[in-house]
Amino acid sequence: MKIIACYSNKGGVGKTATSVNLAHAYAVAGHKVLLCDLDPQGASGFYLRVKPSKKLTDARFFDDVARFTKSIRASDFEGLDVLPANMTFRDFDVFLSRMRNKRSRLKKALIAAGSDYDVIILDCPPNFSTLSENVFKAADQIVVPVIPTTLSERSFDQLVGFFDANKLSKKKLNAFFSMVQQRKTLHHETMDEMRKRHRKRFLQSSIPFAADIERMGQNRAPVSEYAPRSAASTAYQKLYDEIENRSASKQ
Amino acid sequence: MVRVKSCFVIRGAFDGARFAQSLKGLALRFDAAEPARRFGILDCHDQSLRASGRALIQIDGSLILLCGRKSQIQGCRGEGKFVQDLPDGPVKVALAGFPKLRALMNVGSGRVEHRSFVVLGDQQKTQVRGTMMLLSSDQGQVSVVTVRHMRGYDRAFKSICQKLKKMDAAASSTEPVFDGLFPKATIYKAKPQIRIETHEPSIEVATDIIRTYLAVARQNEAGVIDDIDTEFLHDYRVSLRRVRSVISLFKDVFSLEQTAELKREFSGLMEPTGRVRDLDVYLLEKDSYFNLIPVNLHDGVRAMFTQFENERAQALGRLSRRFLTQGYDTQMRKLTELFADPANLRPGPNADRPAYDFACSLIWKRYRKTCKLARRITPHTPDEVVHNLRIDCKKLRYLMEYFAPLFDAKAFKTIIKPLKKLQDNLGLFNDFSVQQEALQNFVKQNSNTQGRADAQMALSVGGLIAVLDQRQRAERDCVIAKFKQFDSPDIRHLFRKLFHHKEG
Repeated sequence: MKIIACYSNKGGVGKTATSVNLAHAYAVAGHKVLLCDLDPQGASGFYLRVKPSKKLTDARFFDDVARFTKSIRASDFEGLDVLPANMTFRDFDVFLSRMRNKRSRLKKALIAAGSDYDVIILDCPPNFSTLSENVFKAADQIVVPVIPTTLSERSFDQLVGFFDANKLSKKKLNAFFSMVQQRKTLHHETMDEMRKRHRKRFLQSSIPFAADIERMGQNRAPVSEYAPRSAASTAYQKLYDEIENRSASKQ
Repeated sequence: MVRVKSCFVIRGAFDGARFAQSLKGLALRFDAAEPARRFGILDCHDQSLRASGRALIQIDGSLILLCGRKSQIQGCRGEGKFVQDLPDGPVKVALAGFPKLRALMNVGSGRVEHRSFVVLGDQQKTQVRGTMMLLSSDQGQVSVVTVRHMRGYDRAFKSICQKLKKMDAAASSTEPVFDGLFPKATIYKAKPQIRIETHEPSIEVATDIIRTYLAVARQNEAGVIDDIDTEFLHDYRVSLRRVRSVISLFKDVFSLEQTAELKREFSGLMEPTGRVRDLDVYLLEKDSYFNLIPVNLHDGVRAMFTQFENERAQALGRLSRRFLTQGYDTQMRKLTELFADPANLRPGPNADRPAYDFACSLIWKRYRKTCKLARRITPHTPDEVVHNLRIDCKKLRYLMEYFAPLFDAKAFKTIIKPLKKLQDNLGLFNDFSVQQEALQNFVKQNSNTQGRADAQMALSVGGLIAVLDQRQRAERDCVIAKFKQFDSPDIRHLFRKLFHHKEG
């Protein structure tokens, strides 16, 4: 079992769209995938028409494996299941910070409950917290969407700084450029500059800014389901290929 | 625990619209129908799958096995194959226990339409997936609805299953696949039930049995010609043997001349089948023959079996051609007509004797004769006597089987159990002796005029004969013990009680 986190310390960068499309790409390739919606807003569940689970509270998430597994729902796509979010997940942090071994609780819970799956994808909320520390510890790879703008650049530098300060392995970090607008000179300049500065951290593929991705909210399905030949769909497929190749070459 | 997949067999075409209406808060959406394909229902000749509540459907290159609420699917073709020869897969596993000697054959076919559907909850979320197979023959229609559970949607799955259960009139049986699609098909029974009345004249009983088994024999002809499996010829021969045994065992039911004529005629029918059956038996035992002797003697046996295979092909060809002749068909038709009514037959002195009375006297006499012979057997008695005992036991068994409906079933079971064991033992004794003889004949046929045979072959056959002889002797040593079990005071008492009523 492999755990991939989709994380950014900045909001609105396309985390949920990436989680859903990446999870779907894994499922289409024949893997058994569990998409965990750790963001209390529950957007990835919404994209897949899965309602939030009422019964799962944070305490139960970590202690009660049976209840954890019971809250998992099949999506409409073969091989892709979802653990929907819950408003009480917002207290994850407080809860986790009070526990012993607080940084490895998530990994333990996922390993216990996710044994049916080849890949677990975590859609994470945007902040630095005990939960994100758990995510960094649990994940084999951390996929970070970065919009090529000054503010995003700053956020990514902060993230790398956090990894350095806490002696976490930066090899896990797989950043890619998200919401890229080819017409904007600023985007090109930022991308060139960042690729130079974080040479090993950035993937080759990037995701364009596209109306097809925005329409996920209306269609409530992964892009490749309703716009299979679109540039966005192709881009997500390339992103999947690259992530899968990286993890294969690591192994 | 929710079952992952459930299967429902529904008579007639599945009414999707009505079903959709019955669902509260859930919507049903059908995909477009896939192009219709051919299907075949596979079973063996005696329909053992049907009898065990299962149905095996072949659609193009896939086998689908329905069994209660479960279904299995495997990508392979099954027609004409034995279950043990299918590639490994879930259907093969589920078919474990299927008769080894019976091949799968098409027992009915038609067209199948396949449609997928989904059951949607609010927000148009799929909660249950399903497929509907509509099987149509020229005699009827049956729908097979399979629904698949999706993780986290137990309630929708349970509710759909309950609704389907109500439509599934046969309550998880697969019988509608047979009687819904092919209501006119006759079910083959190698041993049909024959009704006998206590006071029925014995000539009527005899003609009933003969007529029934003539029909059974005829139902096997096509399978012999198509060479589906060796059981067709076996059943054909068993049926005719039963006919012959009625003719010879029901003493004086027919006139002397009539009896002689019939014996001649049925011997004539049996005679051309003997060689094929002998060769079938050798070929079925092929593997065990190889196991009897060391590997360095295998070459000779291999050569022998190649010759057997060729000879069998020729002999079966001759027999099939015979079955296809006008003369054979006319002969069988005439016999069927003859036994349609007891009045067509010339009666003997026992013709009108009531069945029960006649049965008691025949069985009692045969029992006494068999016991008298068996009690004389010592370790030094010639094999010939043991052979005679086998034949007597067989006759006793036939008589008891024919008249069984007139007697207490439980008592019969008690008697037949040790008799069967004795017969199995005698049967093996006989098989080993017949096989040795056959092997010797084989060497003789393959020797030159000076009586010299190929050394490889002679070595192998010699080895086989030595082993078979030892086995025959081992069986022979058991005969006395097995008879003692049959000859227990309890069984004796039962025989007397059932069949020997002293006058007055």
